[in-house]
Amino acid sequence: MKMAWKEMKKFKLRYLILGFIVFLISMLTLSISGLANGLSDDNASLIKHMPDGTFYMDEEAEDNYSFSSLTTEQEDEIKNASGQETFFSIQMGELLDDDDKKFSTAYVTSEGGDYFPEVDKGEIVLDSSFEGEGFEVGDEVSNSLMEEPLTIAGFVEQQKFSHTEVGFINKEDYGEMFRADTFQIGFIDDEVDLGESLKSYNNSDFLNTIPSYSAEQMSLNMIIIFLYVISALLFAIFFYMINVQKMSTFGILKAIGVKQSSLFVMMWSQMLLITIVSLIPAIVAGLLINQFAPEGMPFFLPTETITFSAIAFIIIGFLGATLSGLQIRKAEPMQAINQGGM
Amino acid sequence: MSVFELIDIDKEFKNGRNVEKILKSVDLKLKEGELTALTGPSGSGKSTLLTIAACLQKKSDGIIKFNGQDISKESDGKIRNIRAEKFGFVFQQAHLVPFLTVKEQLELMLDTANVKLDKKDRKIDKVLEAVDLSNHKDSYPESLSGGEKQRAAIARAIIHDPEILFADEPTASLDSKRSKEVMELIKSLSAKLGITVLMVTHDMDMLEYADSRVEMKDGQITAVE
Repeated sequence: MKMAWKEMKKFKLRYLILGFIVFLISMLTLSISGLANGLSDDNASLIKHMPDGTFYMDEEAEDNYSFSSLTTEQEDEIKNASGQETFFSIQMGELLDDDDKKFSTAYVTSEGGDYFPEVDKGEIVLDSSFEGEGFEVGDEVSNSLMEEPLTIAGFVEQQKFSHTEVGFINKEDYGEMFRADTFQIGFIDDEVDLGESLKSYNNSDFLNTIPSYSAEQMSLNMIIIFLYVISALLFAIFFYMINVQKMSTFGILKAIGVKQSSLFVMMWSQMLLITIVSLIPAIVAGLLINQFAPEGMPFFLPTETITFSAIAFIIIGFLGATLSGLQIRKAEPMQAINQGGM
Repeated sequence: MSVFELIDIDKEFKNGRNVEKILKSVDLKLKEGELTALTGPSGSGKSTLLTIAACLQKKSDGIIKFNGQDISKESDGKIRNIRAEKFGFVFQQAHLVPFLTVKEQLELMLDTANVKLDKKDRKIDKVLEAVDLSNHKDSYPESLSGGEKQRAAIARAIIHDPEILFADEPTASLDSKRSKEVMELIKSLSAKLGITVLMVTHDMDMLEYADSRVEMKDGQITAVE
């Protein structure tokens, strides 16, 4: 460790360059992770806020919630299963303000459970981003599919579906609006597989039924995976180049009796130090983006993502450095002695 | 009394389909506290013999006895410990670690040799004084002259009080004045600390410092004086 630090102190520039590149890549990775989380929330926070459990749709709906319509028998089957049941329906629509300005809205109605707000007939509870558009509690909003206007009863934080703000309405109003008197989706906060007419999904599978959700997340995750691979290669190549330059020194150190394991510890210490020192400003930068990102930019960087990324970078750095460090094993005292040097 | 003994040492190298015999049944004894010079023409096998004796490369056959014990059959780890604790090395080039100061090179050697000293600094100061490098304690190798580097290498080779010092043409890269200084240093340290020295040299002027001389030719010892 002492030797590792002394080498880094002596050859500051080369390690500063590596540290700076690791900082840039880790910041980019955290930023894209934050964006992936933000977009995921923007796409499905309505579902992501629900606990782990099982979602049910009609088997014939072919994984598309808008084609699903649960029969009374199917609802009874869900009700009879263990766990707290909730039924809900989602339809995309529009909402008009006083000036007939249109706002895309995902209308949601539900029954049972306490995951969604309870709404009386004639009222609507909106996602808080409507507040930013100037809507207030008590305002009336209308919809071309309903004769009577709806009064805003309140706002709820971060409730979005398919990149659209959610409006929670009563089942009767939903029925009037969409001519539907059945629910599309059932949910139980437990893992229960029911009869053949119902298809069950865990939370992750259900999220993937949302149009564009999996494609969007897969693209971003691919970028993140590539950044991790690039980081591993960066560590491997950089340490390979440094190790090639140090083969003679390694050989001499082995000749005078320094253990091979000490040379690996030296390299790992350098990798760990560079990674940690580079990760700190990258995490700070990520948190600053999280705090000060513009209103319309979906960005969310939770502690779990930061911890995961930090651990991933350390493991990747370790693997990259170890891969290149296999050269240390090849360092021969005799070769070093015959090569000459300082 | 011989502290170190090579018995019937053979060394073969494969060169394509041919097998070249570099050392042929070499026997050599080193007496405690003596400086033995190994001389001979290029290709006679003297450097190969020294590196085999120092356990830096493997022999093809034979026995290496150190303090009466056959060390040639020991594990790599045990041999590494013997090299670190009991042997010292000086090569043609100083081979100092480029990112350590002179003092740090000596500290590294003490740590490698597992030397537990309460007053490491005092020991380092004493050795640096002996090699006349007290003023370069905090210098990096790049700022030292050739002679200073070689003296620093000698300091590293003896800081842990080794029993045997292996020196492979330690003056080859130095001018005659510096060569003389380095040889006087090795000789005086050997005498003062009782270190046994095996030194390969081409330079006949350096033989005046040797207690005994072993002449090699074509992989065999041809004369012992």
